[in-house]
Amino acid sequence: MNRKDLFNIAETWFNKQSWKPFPFQKETWNAFLQGKHGLLNAPTGSGKTYALWIAIVLQYIKNTPDYQKKPAKGLKAIWITPLRSLSVEIKQSTERFVQEIGIPFTIGIRSGDTSQKERAAQKRNMPDLLITTPESLQLLLASKGYDKTFKNVIAVVNDEWHELIGSKRGVQMELALSRLKTISPAIRIWGISATIGNLSQAREVLLGSHADTLQNSVLVKANIKKKITVRSIIPKKMDTFPWRGHLGIHLLEDVFPIIQQSKTTLLFTNTRAQCEIWFQKLLEKYPELAGEIAMHHGSINKETRLWVEQAIRNETLKAVVCTSSLDLGVDFTPVESIIQIGGPKGIARFLQRAGRSGHQPGKESIIYFLPTHAIELIEASALQKAVKNNIVEDRIPYLNSFDVLVQYLISLAVSDGFYPKTIFPEIKSTFCFQTITEEQYVWILNFITKGSQSLNAYDEYKKVEIESDGRFKVNSRAVAMRHRLQIGTIVSDAVLTVKYLKGGFLGSIEEWFVSKLSPGDVFTFAGRNLELFRIKNMQVLVKKSKKKTAKVPSWMGGRMTFSAQMSTLLREELYSVSDQKSVNSVVIKPLSKELKALAPIFIKQRKESIVPGPDQFLIETFKSREGYHAVFYPFEGRFVHEALGSLLAYRISLLTPITFSIAFNDYGFELLSDQEIDMQQVLDNNLFTKEYLNNDLQKSLNATEMARRKFRDIAVIAGLVFTGYPNKLIKSKHLQSSSQLLFSVFNDYEPDNLLLRQAFIETFEHQLEEGRLIEALERIESQNIVWKQCKNPTPFSFPIITDRLREKLSSEKLADRIKRMTAQLEKL
Amino acid sequence: MKTKKLKIHHQDFILHPSGALYWCNTDMLLIADVHLGKITHFRKHGVAVPSNAIQDNFDALDAVTSYFKPKVICFLGDLFHSYMNTEWLLFKDWTVKQEAKIVLIVGNHDVINPSKYEELQVHLSDEWLIGSILLTHHPEKRDNFFTICGHIHPGVQLQGLGRQYVRVPCFHKSVNQLVIPAFGTFTGTYCIPPTINEEIFAITENEVIEINFE
Repeated sequence: MNRKDLFNIAETWFNKQSWKPFPFQKETWNAFLQGKHGLLNAPTGSGKTYALWIAIVLQYIKNTPDYQKKPAKGLKAIWITPLRSLSVEIKQSTERFVQEIGIPFTIGIRSGDTSQKERAAQKRNMPDLLITTPESLQLLLASKGYDKTFKNVIAVVNDEWHELIGSKRGVQMELALSRLKTISPAIRIWGISATIGNLSQAREVLLGSHADTLQNSVLVKANIKKKITVRSIIPKKMDTFPWRGHLGIHLLEDVFPIIQQSKTTLLFTNTRAQCEIWFQKLLEKYPELAGEIAMHHGSINKETRLWVEQAIRNETLKAVVCTSSLDLGVDFTPVESIIQIGGPKGIARFLQRAGRSGHQPGKESIIYFLPTHAIELIEASALQKAVKNNIVEDRIPYLNSFDVLVQYLISLAVSDGFYPKTIFPEIKSTFCFQTITEEQYVWILNFITKGSQSLNAYDEYKKVEIESDGRFKVNSRAVAMRHRLQIGTIVSDAVLTVKYLKGGFLGSIEEWFVSKLSPGDVFTFAGRNLELFRIKNMQVLVKKSKKKTAKVPSWMGGRMTFSAQMSTLLREELYSVSDQKSVNSVVIKPLSKELKALAPIFIKQRKESIVPGPDQFLIETFKSREGYHAVFYPFEGRFVHEALGSLLAYRISLLTPITFSIAFNDYGFELLSDQEIDMQQVLDNNLFTKEYLNNDLQKSLNATEMARRKFRDIAVIAGLVFTGYPNKLIKSKHLQSSSQLLFSVFNDYEPDNLLLRQAFIETFEHQLEEGRLIEALERIESQNIVWKQCKNPTPFSFPIITDRLREKLSSEKLADRIKRMTAQLEKL
Repeated sequence: MKTKKLKIHHQDFILHPSGALYWCNTDMLLIADVHLGKITHFRKHGVAVPSNAIQDNFDALDAVTSYFKPKVICFLGDLFHSYMNTEWLLFKDWTVKQEAKIVLIVGNHDVINPSKYEELQVHLSDEWLIGSILLTHHPEKRDNFFTICGHIHPGVQLQGLGRQYVRVPCFHKSVNQLVIPAFGTFTGTYCIPPTINEEIFAITENEVIEINFE
């Protein structure tokens, strides 16, 4: 069958649905049939699934003239989706096409939710198309005879590739793809990505650096533009509007009319705690909404979440309060309005959420921005601009993630074993490991076989064994089982399941929150007030409570930072209201209504200090009951501020023995000390210089122990910390340790350990964003420093100085510090 | 090296920054929760904890015994972390060098066959009563006795001006009990907030510091 005949099959099917193929779909079919790999840039709901699935099926028809007969056994294509919840929808779409054109394909789903029985059945007889997650694919690579499973695969599609590229799940996929390229000779590798700043890099990450696959690939763009309208909810009275507070409840009344006017409204919050509170407050204030609103976040049990998703589709809900758990996935046609509560921190996320409304082609998306404190109105103004100018962030891929490599190599050793010489070129062909040296590779191999770099007579280390023919293999069943249970790169806190005493599963909750409760305490979870009865067998048993006041669990994780694009926009907005600008008499643009509304705040700010302009760098100092505060305003996002704060604290601490507590948010950072900071000395010594930056940061990092936190994930991914068997009480006997403890031991005894070094490098590249830091320092060097000695905290400083999450840095001896400190007595 | 003196039931004790406790009147050194063999146990199960950390436990033991030169060394339980492994040989070498009598109060982690200890002339006991002092592994209240024990790995969270926090291992003394810190290198701490009438002595590299309460 030639290309025309093949296209004909597809177009006939499209006509039957009274659709017309988009140019990007045809372009994809064409490229695929020409044997090309590629990346398709298309938004959700644009027909991207058919762009690739039809291409795969047409290729199958081309290869198999009697395609309407029962196909030969075995896997033909793999569809990778980062979200399990998407797999059902993909299954439906793909099934629909093959059924209607008469190909008896089987389509299967394999994920963490798939039953043991079904998985075993799949093992014996793979479906023609397997829809799966990166983790489940990795598990397949860890099972015996995997090369036969993948032998005849003609395509692997990486859906939502933009979600994977900036994470270690992406690295996991890169490694899996490098293996598939060898064991599935006919394979074509494709990705589907929403618009991100670095699309062409995304293609390189998918297909490998300098790889033939990259040479023989295309980038297909759907070019579908969506109209997005952003409306800010501006508080009527600015002077009662809080300077800080992350809930936004005071604007509840402005939200109600929006809910009433739309068929369905999604309210996006940034944290699960905020989600719980908003849901409660909405119900309290508007009892008439009962039964018409719901809540959706990652800790709520799956059945409830699926029910909510279905209810949205059936138009039975007026509003859903949710978190990023509804960012992606299923199409919700009835959704008409989106409300973003609090700053979304990134433009891409904001656009993604906006896109959840007005889902049909040609419809406009409406998103309301609800600021939770005054300064966030500047963010609103900046977001307006971003949407208008179509600015989107990059997703930065990981480099040299040795933890993922360790996990991958052990997976291969668990299944059929591997020969290091065969695997090395595959690894080196990936984007992540393009610069890996043979030395590093040998280090990793020694690590998994000897547990160190030199042999020790007494040593009993056992993991991967080297067999006589040079094959690396795991022979211990216990090691293999522990490894399979730990495959994955998403590391979360220990969670307990929440259940009613009488039975009935409510969801899961982080251990550290529960550990703060005692029986009889009341807390809010999944929209209900619950009384803790007891904790048993990793289960939290609860009863319903009638009490009104309750604690709300605040889930860890996800403190987001401004992206570089977002902070640039934010600075521009702020400069537009600065005093300096009017002096320079640049063209004065009309202020946005968000900024106009902020006028009273700016007046208060000017009373004690200034609103800085493009050539000014503002520092404020003042004294309070808590000590001496120094607040700096680079407006660069919290991660850069965290780094700058540590750096400056370190440099000051070289001048004099001093201890700081460092706080930071997206606008600036604060150094708080029990001693007065000699600011003149800071300025005279040019402490903002970018000279010795790396060296100074290393040292300040050691002190602030940021790397320790990064190491936690690395230790789990590399299998150093065993997180236990699922739902089993018995943790591995005598094998429990915390990553904290491991970090200390590695730091003291094996400072060159590649995994430990990785923790530092990740801190630099992903947490501190060293590149941005250098740019920020260059900018500060070119600005005039304005040091204001204030009597009282200013509106700008307030959100920072009240932040309770802090870092510390000290140049004093531990013993000297302890002598000035006290222990808090237990409240009896 | 700054130690701290303490009087309990008319007996003199010295708190050492290593976490060891010296009982002057009986010339006895008390050490809790060394967890020897823990690193090797982890390595045996495929967790690559740096093996050169093993030697540090023995160096620390040597340092504190040569400081006090006691007649008796009494381990307050959890001397070995798990089942027999090659670290036993290092322990054996260490015991041979000791002139002091060695006693082990058995802790929950001490699962190695008692006969193995007897071969090394380490005496085992579930507890030890000397005058009105009770030596045990687990904390325990007994009328008219003062308990000295381990097991908890006590630590304390301290706070200072400028919202500083720090967490350090400590000796935790209540009216009738003294819990001593874990001696081993690869062991964690468990923070217990003190109550009134209790005393906390934090340990740092070179110093034992009494903590004030808020």
